[in-house]
Amino acid sequence: MNAAFEKHCNILDYALSALWRRRLKNGGILMVFAAVIFLVASFQLVTSALTETAGKVLAAAPEITVQRMSAGRQEAIPLAYGDRLHEIFGIRATVPRIWGYYFDEVRGANYTVLGVAPDMPQADGLGKAVSGSVPWPLGQGRVVLGRAAAATLELQPRQLFSFFRPDLSLKPMTVAGVFRPETELLTADLIAMPLADARDLFGIPASQATDLCVYVANPAEIVTIAEKISKILPDTRVLTRPQIQKTYQVVFGWRSGFASVCLLAALAAFAILAWDKASGLSPEERREIAILKILGWETSDILALRFWEGGLVAGLAFLLGITLAYFHVVFGGAALFKPVLVGWSVLQPTLSLAPPVTLKEVLLLLAFTVLPYLAVTVIPAWRAASVPAESALSG
Amino acid sequence: MLIELENVTKVYNQGRSNEVQALTEVSLAIAPQTMVCLKGPSGSGKSTLLSIIGCIFAPTSGRATIAGKPLARLPDRFLTVHRRATIGFIFQRFNILPALSVAENIVLPLLPLGVSPKARRERAGALMDQLAIRHREHFPAGQISGGELQRVAIARALINDPPIILADEPTAHLDSRLSREFMQIMADLKAAGKTIVITSHDPLVTEHAAIDRVIGVKDGRIDVP
Repeated sequence: MNAAFEKHCNILDYALSALWRRRLKNGGILMVFAAVIFLVASFQLVTSALTETAGKVLAAAPEITVQRMSAGRQEAIPLAYGDRLHEIFGIRATVPRIWGYYFDEVRGANYTVLGVAPDMPQADGLGKAVSGSVPWPLGQGRVVLGRAAAATLELQPRQLFSFFRPDLSLKPMTVAGVFRPETELLTADLIAMPLADARDLFGIPASQATDLCVYVANPAEIVTIAEKISKILPDTRVLTRPQIQKTYQVVFGWRSGFASVCLLAALAAFAILAWDKASGLSPEERREIAILKILGWETSDILALRFWEGGLVAGLAFLLGITLAYFHVVFGGAALFKPVLVGWSVLQPTLSLAPPVTLKEVLLLLAFTVLPYLAVTVIPAWRAASVPAESALSG
Repeated sequence: MLIELENVTKVYNQGRSNEVQALTEVSLAIAPQTMVCLKGPSGSGKSTLLSIIGCIFAPTSGRATIAGKPLARLPDRFLTVHRRATIGFIFQRFNILPALSVAENIVLPLLPLGVSPKARRERAGALMDQLAIRHREHFPAGQISGGELQRVAIARALINDPPIILADEPTAHLDSRLSREFMQIMADLKAAGKTIVITSHDPLVTEHAAIDRVIGVKDGRIDVP
C-alpha cells in the first residue's frame, strides 16, 4: 500500500484513539454540535417539505382568482362579471366559488369553507384529495372535511352536524369524506361543500360568489390574461396561481428564516465554544504533542491529526444531527417546530411530511454547520501543531 | 565523526527583550559507537546542546553536522525527517503516554512513516522480546512499574533503528538499581554499535565503565577543568 496513504490511515487510527481517550470532552462537544445541527436541519427539512406540500396541493388551485374589492376590502362578486371576461381569448372556463370562514363559537374554532361549483374544471383534483371513494361532485348537503376540522367537530361515529346561517337557523350537513393526510397543510381546517350549500350557509345570493375562478387554456398565458382581466374589471383583485404559491413560499420562508437566524446564533455560540475548547490545550495535550513532535511527527502530521479529530467529531455530529432531524420531521411530524412553522388558524394541521433530501440540501447544511466548525478550529489546530518539540525535554 | 559541532551558538528570542544566549561557541566531536555524558547543573545549556544534537533545531550560528548532514542548511521539515531517521530519544521521566498501551507507545515514531500495522507489530514485538517486556504489551503504560517504563522508553527510542540515542536525564527519577539496569542496557546498545549521548550529573551515569567521555557544560560553554 502507498506509504502516504498508510501514513494517513495511521494518523486517523491515532486520532480515533485520542478521541476515545478524551471521550468525555469530545462526547460533550459532539452532543452539543449534534443538537445544533439537528435544530438547523429540522428547520430546513420542514421548510422544504412544507413548500413542496403546498406546491402539490396548490397545483389543483385555479390558475386565476378574481375577487371584487371595495374600500380596500373584499366583497361578493356578481356572476355577471364572469360574462364580461368571455371576450378574452384563451380563457377555458370561468366558474364561481365561495371561499369563506365560519367561526364555531362552541368549540372556538375557525373553519375555512369552500363552496365548489359542479362544473369547476379542477374540482376532480379536490376530489382526488379525499380519502376513499367519495362521489364527486358532492351532492346537496354533503361535505368533505379536513382531519383537524373533523376532530374538532367530534363527529365519530355520527356523520351529521349543523352550522348556523346568518339568521341563526341551523343548516344540517352530512360528512361524505375526509381529506387525505398528505394534503393536511392546506386542508386541516377546510370544509368543502357544493356551491349552493355554501351560499346557503353564508346567505350569499345566487347571483353572487366570493371569487370567480378563471381557467386558461395555456398556462404560459396566465400573467397576460390576468392583466387583461384587471383592465376589464378595474374594481377587482386578480390573483394568479404562481402568486399564491409564491406567497406560501414567502410565508414559510419568512418563518423559517426567522427561526434560522435564531438557530444560526446558536451555531455561532457553539463555534465560540468550539474555539475555546480547541484552543485551550491542556498541559497533557501540550505534552503529548511535544512528545509526538520530538519523536518525528511533523507539524503537518499534528495538523492532520487535529483535523481528523475535528472532522470526525463534526462528521459524526452531522450524521447524528441530520438523521435525528429526518426522523423528527418525517416520523415526528416536526413536533418541536409545528407551532412556529405551520398553521394560521386555531386548527393546527397534524402533518405527514416527506422532505425531499437532496444532495443540494445536505451540502447546504454541511456548509452552514460543519465548515464553520472546521474553520474556527483551524487556528487552534495550528497553535497545537506549533507546540515546540523541545518542550518535551527537561529544560 | 558522527556528531560534529563547531563554534555553535544558540540564542533564544533573538532581538527581543527576553533574549537568552543558551550556548556560546561550543565545539564538540563525538565518534560513532561511543557513549558520552554531558554533565552540568540545571540551566547550564545541556538540554539546548541535546536539542541541537537531536536535530530539534539548528544553531543560531556555527556549524552542526549530525550523521553527515549540516543542520543549518536543512529546513524545519527536513530537520524532522533527518531526526526520525537518525535519533532515538529517551526522556527524563520517559515521557510515555500513560493512556496508550505499551505497544502503542513503542510504535509512535513509526506512525508518520506510513509503516503498516503488521510491520509495526513485528518490530515492536522484537524489541519487547529483547527488553523482556512482551508480557506487558497490551497493558496501559500508566499501570506498569518504573523499570518496565524505562524499557518501554528504550524500545520506543530504538524502534526506528537510529544510529544515535540521546537520553535526557534518564536516571533522575530512578532508584540506584534501576539506574544501574538502565546503564547496562545502554552499554549493551553501545556494544551493538549505537552512539549514545546522555545528559546527567548522576555519578551512577558519569562514572559508569561504559562511558567513554564526560563533557562538562557550564554557562552555555564546554567546561574545561
